[in-house]
Amino acid sequence: MRLTVNGVEHDVLSPPLATLLHVLREELAITSPKAGCLQGGCGACTVLVDGEPRRACLTPIAAIDGASVSTVEGLGAPDDLSVVQAAFHAHYAAQCGFCTSGFMMAAQALVDSDGQASREEVIAALSGHICRCTGYVKIIDAVTAAVNGDVRTAETDIDMGPRDEETITLVPGSPA
Amino acid sequence: MKAVGARLPRYDGLAHITGRTQYVDDVRIHGTLWTKALRSPHHHAAVRSIDTSRAEALPGVHAVVTAQDVPRNVYGHLEALGVPADEPLLAEGDVRWKGQVIAAVAAESEEIALAAVDAIDVEFEEREAVFDIRRAADPDAPTFHQWGPVYPHFGPHNHRRVRKGDVDRAFDEADVIVEGVYRPQAIEHVPMETQVALAVPEASGRLTIYSCTQAMYFSMGVVAAHLQWPLSKLKFVGGTVGGGFGGKVDTATETICALLAIKSRRPVKWRFTREEEFLVSSTRAPWHIELRDAVTTDGWILGRRTLTLHDAGAYARFSPYGVTKHAFHHTGAYTIPNVRFDGFVVFTNRVPTTAMRGFGVTSVSLAVELHLSRVADVLGMDPLELRLKNANRVGDTTGNRVVLHDPSTVAVTLAAAEAAGHEVGEEYRSMTSDRRTGDLLPEHLVEQQAPEGAHMATFDPTLTNGGGH
Repeated sequence: MRLTVNGVEHDVLSPPLATLLHVLREELAITSPKAGCLQGGCGACTVLVDGEPRRACLTPIAAIDGASVSTVEGLGAPDDLSVVQAAFHAHYAAQCGFCTSGFMMAAQALVDSDGQASREEVIAALSGHICRCTGYVKIIDAVTAAVNGDVRTAETDIDMGPRDEETITLVPGSPA
Repeated sequence: MKAVGARLPRYDGLAHITGRTQYVDDVRIHGTLWTKALRSPHHHAAVRSIDTSRAEALPGVHAVVTAQDVPRNVYGHLEALGVPADEPLLAEGDVRWKGQVIAAVAAESEEIALAAVDAIDVEFEEREAVFDIRRAADPDAPTFHQWGPVYPHFGPHNHRRVRKGDVDRAFDEADVIVEGVYRPQAIEHVPMETQVALAVPEASGRLTIYSCTQAMYFSMGVVAAHLQWPLSKLKFVGGTVGGGFGGKVDTATETICALLAIKSRRPVKWRFTREEEFLVSSTRAPWHIELRDAVTTDGWILGRRTLTLHDAGAYARFSPYGVTKHAFHHTGAYTIPNVRFDGFVVFTNRVPTTAMRGFGVTSVSLAVELHLSRVADVLGMDPLELRLKNANRVGDTTGNRVVLHDPSTVAVTLAAAEAAGHEVGEEYRSMTSDRRTGDLLPEHLVEQQAPEGAHMATFDPTLTNGGGH
């Protein structure tokens, strides 16, 4: 079986019923997707399979033979952040960081879809993801900004301007 | 002062959002073995026999450890502070909670490790268990802990005590006595990263241990004590924690990984499943808190009697520290001149409990604040006005005889009232934290008030015992 991961083609040696998460982490050493629950409940293993967010822990490799897989490693580097990464950085959307990869890939799918989403649509798109640090407001802020093209660059962020009041406004219906 | 109020980039932020942060489970060492544990299926049982020979004979199994493999099996987290130990790393003799580890295996795959655990033969003799802290202290409750129903090492006492003022007189003089019972329940921390460690034998004879611990040097000390190794033979790598919230101060996996790595001479990883994290990792303690306040009809709290029972689960771990936090916070941010506090750490056949986000403080604060609202309700008084009246002022002395120099209760309560749109009377709106005088210094508060400039009132160890933790 073959997989293209972040643009690089791989022959996969794991057995057909091995999960995509196992192949990524244990065979290819791509470790941004996390083993949070291994039962599809937390979202920390989320990657894009042919552009769609999927739970890598529940996806047998045989079901996606030949697919193209995207993970956080393929988004951008510290000196060349993608829109989603820049938004997460600017909005302090990562706390302990363990759930962050999953949230970011779900956000990436939303950015790729049609480029616009209301805050409520962002919340719905992220509803399968758990952040036990409970940093939901910041995550929703970041993803809403990323989807709507309203992202300050990392440089502006490091400029340390006064804190934006809007970033701490609680939004009705947010899971925080 | 450039940083205050400024937006600073997180020092680990870029690594988190580019997938470059290396958590324990992300460390790749060739030849790493998987660990699985044989856990007690019973809440309380005698272990009659353990036979690991079938497990050891399975192809792909590299090490099996039981209590007899541990150089020092019983060691306590607080032992370095003089608190005696009660918890074995691997069960010996009895199992006292469902999930207690009896044996652990290291094998070439998770599947082989699970098969090896299934191949360990254990004979149990099940015994009666107790789960309720009120029941645990009853004379006819089943006993299971070598120290009896409560943790007994608080100096000369078997519980944490605070004695201040004349409580009996306060209750005699009270217009009303208000009682309440509050029972905050156990909470699992549920970090996104489950408990995990990786122990790697080095050519030098040292062990490198990758750990998700929240308390690196604590964990080093615990591992070194169990192994009876000098600290110089251990190298800990950590500081990157995928969520802990207090649940990762317990050294849950490091020591057993180390034992298996030493025995197998291979790198050994143990990562809890989500199910293990929920069922057998330590939780915040459940509590039973009883408060009795002696109050006057015009809203002064003359005295308080407090009983708190801290559910330790089957072993003490940090619970003696938790109940000590209750002793310090049982009057909340309010000045009560006459107090009698008795806090017990009670053993039950539950998963051992531990710190979580404000260890001990949140539980007793919940009780105190609910109780104050209950007092206000009984008196027909505004709940915030009751708080403002009894709030700590400069020069007041806490139940533990700490003199307050900069209390913030009044300012915070007024700010909360304003934020909530809760109106308080004019005489309350103008209150400050200044030293008590006039109407705010009634007779019952005169004696507790420290002289100007005093730092600590006379400490009488016969009234407040200072021993233990």
